[in-house]
Amino acid sequence: MLSRLPFETQKRIIIVSFIALPLLLLLTFSYYPALELIRLSFTNWDGMSQEKDWIGFANYREVFTNPEIFGVFKHNIAYFVVGIVQNIAAIYFAIVLNGKLKGRYFFRLLLFLPYILNGVAVAYLFGYVFDTTDGSLNFLLGKLGLGGETSWLGSESFVNYTLASIGFWRFMGFNMVIYLAALQSIPADLYEAASIDGANNWQKFRFITVPNIYKIIELNLFLTVTGALEVFDLPFVLTNGGPAGASETFVMKIIETAFQFNDYGLASAMSVVLLIAVVVVLSIQRYFLNRGRD
Amino acid sequence: MKKAFSLLLASVLMLTILAACGGKDKEEVKPSDNGNTTPTTEATDNKGGEEIKGKIVFLTQRTDMIGKEFKEYKKRFEEKYPGVEIQFEGVLDYEKTSKVRIASGKFPDVILIGPGIANSEFPKYFAPLDDIQFSGDIRFKDLKAFEGKMYGVSSGNSTVGIVYNKKAFAKAGITAIPKTLDEFYAAAQKLKDAGIIPLASNFKDKWPLDTWVYDVPTMIGGASDHQNKRAETDTPYTMDGVYGQSWSILRTLHEKDLLEKDINSSNWEKSKKDVAQGKFGMYLLGNWVINQVIENGAASEDIGFFPFPADNSGSLKAPLNPDWFYAVNKDGNVPAAKAFVKWMVEESGYEDFAGFIPTLTTKESKLPQLAEFNSYNPQFIELGASNDLATSIQNDAQIDQSKFLQEFVLVKDPQTVLDKLNKQWAKAKSKVAK
Repeated sequence: MLSRLPFETQKRIIIVSFIALPLLLLLTFSYYPALELIRLSFTNWDGMSQEKDWIGFANYREVFTNPEIFGVFKHNIAYFVVGIVQNIAAIYFAIVLNGKLKGRYFFRLLLFLPYILNGVAVAYLFGYVFDTTDGSLNFLLGKLGLGGETSWLGSESFVNYTLASIGFWRFMGFNMVIYLAALQSIPADLYEAASIDGANNWQKFRFITVPNIYKIIELNLFLTVTGALEVFDLPFVLTNGGPAGASETFVMKIIETAFQFNDYGLASAMSVVLLIAVVVVLSIQRYFLNRGRD
Repeated sequence: MKKAFSLLLASVLMLTILAACGGKDKEEVKPSDNGNTTPTTEATDNKGGEEIKGKIVFLTQRTDMIGKEFKEYKKRFEEKYPGVEIQFEGVLDYEKTSKVRIASGKFPDVILIGPGIANSEFPKYFAPLDDIQFSGDIRFKDLKAFEGKMYGVSSGNSTVGIVYNKKAFAKAGITAIPKTLDEFYAAAQKLKDAGIIPLASNFKDKWPLDTWVYDVPTMIGGASDHQNKRAETDTPYTMDGVYGQSWSILRTLHEKDLLEKDINSSNWEKSKKDVAQGKFGMYLLGNWVINQVIENGAASEDIGFFPFPADNSGSLKAPLNPDWFYAVNKDGNVPAAKAFVKWMVEESGYEDFAGFIPTLTTKESKLPQLAEFNSYNPQFIELGASNDLATSIQNDAQIDQSKFLQEFVLVKDPQTVLDKLNKQWAKAKSKVAK
């Protein structure tokens, strides 16, 4: 039936029909809820009642003026710091494992595996590692004579770094695989030419590798930054925001606002603010990374 | 290869479409369900001859009982009321799920309600249950009531006290149950000296601290309305008030090292085993935990339960709290649903299975630990209806009391925590009250 139509029409029909379904799914399950979220953020809906009163920007004012709400963002700094270290480590491992190392496929697999594990499972697993009295980490440190009494998840000063280190373990392999793919796309003759010109390894890295994977570094930093802003599963399972709220993240705060304090309007406003925060941080990052380039 | 791929794609597409259909089917079943019940609703109208038949659905939070105890309940209930078909639907995260479904107006005939719904909303969703003829007086008649009509029947009740391992107590040489707070500290010290961790606080998980926020203040003040009374003052949290006193007990226990070695690294599931094995001596929790400790390997005769001596007066008090309340959908199969609620409260044996104090005042619990608890003759204090004003101030101030309690225990100067808390409270109060 289709074959009797002219080729151009056929092409159009195929394209439209193939694109309609994903677009429909995208609109219904992604864009419609997002618009609804923005609408709710201007109301005082409590999650139950039929009435949703329009209260303008009151929710947004609350988000920005209440230090209890906005202050939790400082807990995310730990995740940024560890995220940057994580990217450096990922580049390092990618370069090492891109060389002619024996057993490199095995090591690549080994480093990538944690990424496949489910986040909540990882959290439980590390719950046993970081347990103060029976944890394996403290047991090991105790055997090494380094004191096995550290409360890894109970010290306000470094609980966020403990949690972020789990993120490091989990996502470093993923970043590494992306870097690895980028490294393999760099033509080998560039390095060859540089060697003939007498460049050392550092110079090759600095002037060939980095410029070639620049876009990928940017992508990985993007993933790290959004990840750091939206951490949720690790603190939720491991510390429940404790001790005394020291590891609470913004997303946990949103959930608490909506489902414990029944303020869906404010929670929606907080979600929108998080979205904007991600955009702002990324714009700043892009500005600095692209300064003096193209 | 290409064929295989298109086959895969086709099946994925089919699945998506089917899944979508599935959702739609379910939606469409609902109205027809209501259609079935119309005759029964008519029957309700001609008073006297209420016909109990048709299908009812009970939305339960006890997913662990589905296919086990509930199967047996279904058999017994349907034997008693032939013509009724009962279905048990289990959901996890009950509070959230049920709230969304109630708000949508389409929810199962029998549902459980907790503190999340304001009493004034009841007539919109639920049928009044005053005309159920129970065989005796029931507890908490007025808690889920609005304008003189009762909309919820408690599914079971619990009290709070010290659940303890008798073997651990014997090992530490504690012969008599502590009757005052000082005796309690002394007993805990003895446990510690015997190498047993005296009290499992489960500090990290936060929710086990609720007893220190709700129940211990009730014991100290001798009244259950302390949460409501907060609405009357700008400074509800003071050091010599019920909260300050209650929280100071936990702080003292922590300072004297009578809790877990690192309270920020507690593990709830493991603590049940440790109490069962006598590595931990006590819990301060509701009686519901008794059965869970026994499930984790303790012999029932080794686990005891006594009222927590919250002060040095020597008179023991215990709060009495309701669990979930049964409520009936006013647009559902009301007569059969009411029959089911009555049956659950009177005949199912659910309270004994769940370790609750029965809702019928005439019924005795079969749990030996509750008998022991009663033998100390505590004065029971029933929880009163919650006050919407206090709740809305708390929500507006975004006060998570257990979190402040955590901070209260951990910081150097606890007074600063109370000051912060009162400041937040006063600010929200002036905003809500206007």
